[in-house]
Parts: sequence; structure tokens; C-alpha cells
Amino acid sequence: MIVTRKKLSRRTILRGMGAAISLPFLDAMTPAFAASTLPGGKPVRAAWFYVPNGIDMRHWTPGEEGPLTDLPSILARLDPVKNDLLVLSNLTANWGRPLLVGAGDHGRALAAYMSGMMVYRTAGADLKLGVSADQVAASAAGHLTKLPSLEIGLEETRQAGNCDNGYSCAYAYNMAWKTESQPLPPISDPRQLFERLFGTDIAESPEAHARRLAMRASILDGAGNDTKKLESSLGASDRRKLDEYLTSLREIEQQVQRAEKDGAIVDPGMEKPYGVPPEFPDYFALMTDILIAAWKTDSTRIATIMIGREGSTRAYPEIGISDGHHPLTHHMGNMTMLDKVRQINSLHLKLFAEFLVKLRSTPEGDSNLLDQSMIVYGSGLSDGNVHTHDQLPTILAGRGGDKFISPGRHIIYQRETPICNLFATMAERMGVTPEHLGDSTSRLAGLSLS
Amino acid sequence: MQSPFEGRQPLGVVYNTSMDRPDAVLALALLYGFQGKREARIGAVSVNGSGLGAAIFCDVVSRFYTPGPMRNANQTLLPGLAIDRPLPADNPMVTAAIARRNDQGDLQYARSVQKPSDTSLPEAVIRNGVIFNAEAVMILSAPATYLARSLNLEGVKDLYKSRVKRLVVVDSGKKQDVPAMRKVLAEFPSPVFFCPREMGEALLFPSASLDKDFAWAPAHPVVDAYRAYKQGAYDAPTYDMAAALYAVHPDKGFFQLSQEGAIQVGDDGGLRFAPGAGGKAKSLVFDPAQKDNILRTYVELASAKPVAPQQRFRPPQADKAAVQKEEKKP
Repeated sequence: MIVTRKKLSRRTILRGMGAAISLPFLDAMTPAFAASTLPGGKPVRAAWFYVPNGIDMRHWTPGEEGPLTDLPSILARLDPVKNDLLVLSNLTANWGRPLLVGAGDHGRALAAYMSGMMVYRTAGADLKLGVSADQVAASAAGHLTKLPSLEIGLEETRQAGNCDNGYSCAYAYNMAWKTESQPLPPISDPRQLFERLFGTDIAESPEAHARRLAMRASILDGAGNDTKKLESSLGASDRRKLDEYLTSLREIEQQVQRAEKDGAIVDPGMEKPYGVPPEFPDYFALMTDILIAAWKTDSTRIATIMIGREGSTRAYPEIGISDGHHPLTHHMGNMTMLDKVRQINSLHLKLFAEFLVKLRSTPEGDSNLLDQSMIVYGSGLSDGNVHTHDQLPTILAGRGGDKFISPGRHIIYQRETPICNLFATMAERMGVTPEHLGDSTSRLAGLSLS
Repeated sequence: MQSPFEGRQPLGVVYNTSMDRPDAVLALALLYGFQGKREARIGAVSVNGSGLGAAIFCDVVSRFYTPGPMRNANQTLLPGLAIDRPLPADNPMVTAAIARRNDQGDLQYARSVQKPSDTSLPEAVIRNGVIFNAEAVMILSAPATYLARSLNLEGVKDLYKSRVKRLVVVDSGKKQDVPAMRKVLAEFPSPVFFCPREMGEALLFPSASLDKDFAWAPAHPVVDAYRAYKQGAYDAPTYDMAAALYAVHPDKGFFQLSQEGAIQVGDDGGLRFAPGAGGKAKSLVFDPAQKDNILRTYVELASAKPVAPQQRFRPPQADKAAVQKEEKKP
């Protein structure tokens, strides 16, 4: 790494009309950067990817504990990144269980998973849960970045109504809970997400905003002067990085614009937010590309990505599946339905693997974004057919910075080990040491071999 | 903590045991007898102070008494096990039962637990066993280490206060984890009762009933373990059985109660009950007039035949061969 004489602030932004663009980590920031990070070096990021309706666990759980070698068919989608992740077995989200209240597993599963708390049964406004794991982590790392956390959803959002046996839709549609009664709704519109990160710091009149949208102008155009000024003060290596970064931002922006254009000709009868790419894999890639941009620019360190709301009935015509996801998971042993569930599970994991590959190929100093991250991929249900909330499908990707995690292994914990033990460990890594996180009993042992 | 209790449920029993004596084996059978009569249900069994074999045995007994399709973890928790390194050696009585083979050379008894990771985290399963039930009782007949740990968990003291009707502490003469036991006695938020060693020794289980009352089962894991514990016929003290009987039926007059007092933990790990002493606990007092009634109840419950549980979900019908075939697809 070449450290130039110019000491650029980690908080440097390019400003212009309607734009406040954070920058990626540049060599010139090294001295300043070191002073604004968590103890132990570069920033550590944490994210939670949630898949609804459980997993076909027969094709998920590796046979043996230890190094990840031959992966079952669903997990095989992770083969390109298997040495960058852990497969964790036997973790439990106890409060998702029916216990004494009976039905409503989908209504409870996501909320209980993220909070480790009892989900108060209500379809009204008197929501009651607990602070979600990501927000516990954000309480430590959130103030260090432009956005304390980022909530992303890949499905339409609902915040009210009865979604499952008396449980409010708020429980099934929100991963992040800032307080016990305040969910943070995910953003499912790519442009809204993009602008939240890069385009709304400076006040822009509604008229100007509408004018720019109408002209399909780039928010990068507005920051042209700042960009030129900065370029002149950078070394060759940083100039190249900046150019690559701005180009990638422009590409994302163009994807958003293309999606909006495509969205305009989508059958209006389809319930999709404006600007969502018609194909789910493109949608997933676009939203996670924006997340990568957010991490590159250290605009946030905490994210939740809801691949589908709990109980999602999304169909996947891209892979020839026109049935809804949730109905398929109630397969009652029907092999045709099971095969479709497996295909959906595999598609999700393939897209997740592609995201991890992109993170791995995104350098940050002498490391890369994946190594600097802790990314959970999982569900609050294991067997979607009978609604089990133990032996949850759980992946922890990344090394958490400074080799906090030793990946490439399958770890089998004792049954009833709370998933919140993992989340408490992650929160501690992010700088907060909660005595308890939800129903955690301790920190999760064994993530590191050292 | 919001109570999710809706409707009357059977009393849940959380049994923390070392599963290393015949009375523990019989107590487990007695609890399944209660479960068969819907007078109680086993919320959780957690083992510490013994090895993996003790947990396997508890699982074997569970499978023996709950025939039919294997229940999922929404309904039945697998036994807890304290995985100390190294794991303590198992008592030969549990080893004999779990290793028994049938005429075909297969293991006699079905099991879900085969390795440590098949067992449950002890402090979590103790807590979850209470969460599973609107009303619960606890029987402590093992080092108090994990019950004490469970008290440290978020919201658990409130949970125990609202749901646990009583904790019965068994004195079988075994040494306690001194700091953990003192913590439990100081902090447990529900009434605590003491089952003294003399109680178990005054009530000896009539071993003759094994040949008579358990004869309906050609192979019975509880009988196998009892017989393997000691050669020849012997009547075992019933420390844990007495505690279980009182825990589930305190109002049936099986036992008298002392005045209030304190359960004291000696520095050597021994337990004693001191009347008065500023304590709020009570000790069970043996009533000779109840002896025959108690022994009859022991035999009736422990030798009861299994009763299939009500199935709450239809089990998956996936065909194993088809699954394997499917797995081989590229």
C-alpha cells in the first residue's frame, strides 16, 4: 500500500446538487482512517440475510463436523466461497415455537429470530418485541457512520394488519427493531435505497428532485467540481481507485434507472414497487451491489437484508416455479413440491454466494470486504412443513476482521443453543457487550480456532 | 414477561438429575406414569455429573414411553447434558440398558441421542422446559451448577416466579456444588422444599414388583438399569421418587411438612435442613401411615404402560429412498 503525503479525512465527501457521496477507503486516508475505526484495525461490518419459510434441511446440513468438503446439494451453491464461511448447526430460536399460544409460527419466526424475545400477539398497534440483534450492534457502531444501519427488503412491505393468526404484519415484514415497539421498515425500492445512501444529504427541493429524475441525470454529475478538485490532490493509485469507484456507482445508478424504465412497462397489476427489476436475481444483485457500495464508503456497518418476508408467497418464474414459496414448503412429503423448495433454496444461496464473491474481490487496504465482515444467512424456521424453530439453517460468512472467525468449517452445537448466542458474539465484536441479547445464554464458542 | 398461557395445561416437570442411581431411573418412569395419566408432562430432563450414557438413557426412556412417530422439538426437548471435559464415566446401570441388543443383534431401544451434540444445552433446556409450560415444578437431584446458571439468564427469575410452583431439592448424600447451591437457595424465586435423605431411605422400592408389574414389557430400559445397578434382588431407596411424588401432588397427603426453615449447604457440599434459622423452605416429613400408599403409588405409576401422545402435526411422509435418490442428482 502506498501512503501519500496527503492525509485525506475518512469522512471526505463529494458534494454537489442533491448529492453527498461518501468515498471508499483510499491510501491517502490511512492515517485518518486508523483513528476512526473500532479497536483492532479496519472497520468490521455485520449483516443479517433472512430467508423465509425454512429450508429443505435434508440437502443443507453437512454430514460431519469439521472442514467443509462435500457439501449437500443446496449448500453446494456456496462451493466458491466455502472456505470463507462457517456452517453452524443446532441453533435455536425458542420464542418462535408455538409454546402455549399455538399457531402463528410464521408470524413469530422472524421477530423471535432477530430479537430472541417473546412476540406479543397483536394485530393492532400495541406491538411488543425487543431490540433486534442488528440494532444492538448498531448501538455500538452506528454512530461511527453516516447511517447507523441499513434495512433492505426484497419484497413489498406492510406494517399493519393481521398476517398470521393474530400476529401483526409488522412482525413478519421487519427484521430490525430499534426498540421493543419500533420496527425499522426495510427499503425495497432500489432508488430510495440508493438515494438514502448517496443522494439526500443536501437539501434538494422537490421540484429540483423531480426535474433531475425527469432528466435522468446522475447524482454524480452534480459533484463534478468536487471530484475534479479531489483528483488533482491524489496519487496515481488513489486516482485509479476513485475512478473505479465512481464508475461502479454510476453503473449501479444506471441499473436503477434501467430498472425504473423496465418497471414502467411491467404489468401494473403486479404488486411490485416502482423500479424493481422484474427478475428476482437482478433485484437481489442490484440491492446487494448498493450494500457493497455502502460498505465500501463506510456509510454504514450494519445491515439487514430480508430476502423475503416471513411467510412469503413469492413465485420464482425465473427458474420455472410458478407456485408460491410458502405453500410449497407445506409439502407434506410430496417430492415434486420438495424439489421446488430445494430449487428456491438453491437459488437464494447461489445469489448469496455471488454477493460474497463480490465482497471478497473488493479490496480494503491489505484486506477485503468479506474478511472484514460477519454475515449471517439464515431463517427462523428449519423445517417449514412442520414449523420447527430449532436446528436452524445458519451460515456465518466472513472473518470478522483480524481473523476473528476461522471459516471453512461445519460446527455442531448442542441442541437448544440460542441463535442469540451467535448474535451476542457478533454484537460484542462490533463493540457492545450486552450481558444478554434476547435469550442468549453465553457467547458462541468455537468461531475461531486460535 | 407476557404470559402466553391460554387454557389449562398439565403441570410441567423439569428434572435435573445425575441419573446414576436406581431411584433416578425409577423416578423417570414415575414421571412418565404421570404423563400417561395427563397429571403432568415432562418439560425437560437435564443431566449433569454423569456422562453421555446417562443422557442417552433418558432419551431411550423417553422414546420408550412415547411410542409412535418421533416428536419434534416444538413438543419434546432432548435431554440436557453438561459437557464437561472430560465427560464423567457413566454408571454401569445406564450402560447396560442402552447397550442391550435384541435377538437380531440390533440395539434394543430406539434413541435420538447418540453423541454429545444431540443433547441440549443444560441451562437453556432447564429454562426452556419452564417456558414450554404454563405451570411447572422442578426437581433438583444433581449438582446445582446449571440451575444456578439458568438464574442468570435474561428474564428467568420473573419467569420462574410466575410459572414454577415449587422446587424440590433432593438430598441423596451426594456432594453439592457449594456456590451454585447457595446461589439457588438465595435467589430462587418460588417456594423451595427439601426432600431429606432419610425420606428416600425410609421408602424402599419393592424390587419384587419388577418381575410382576413390569412384566408386560419383554424389554424395559428401567428394569434393565435397575437390575444392572447391583447384582441380586435389592430394594432401592427412593430419594428422587419421593421428591417427584411430592412435586406433582403436594396436596395428596403423601408427606407431612416441617415448619419453615433453612436448607444449609456445608463447605463440604453436604445438605441439611435447619428448622427456623430464618429460612422459608420446608422439609418433607415421613409419615409412616402413608408408607404403603406411597409404595403402591410408586409401583402403579412407574410400571404404567406407555400412552401415545396426542399428535399435534401430521408427520412428514417423505420417502427415504426417494430422498436419497434425489440427493444424488447433480
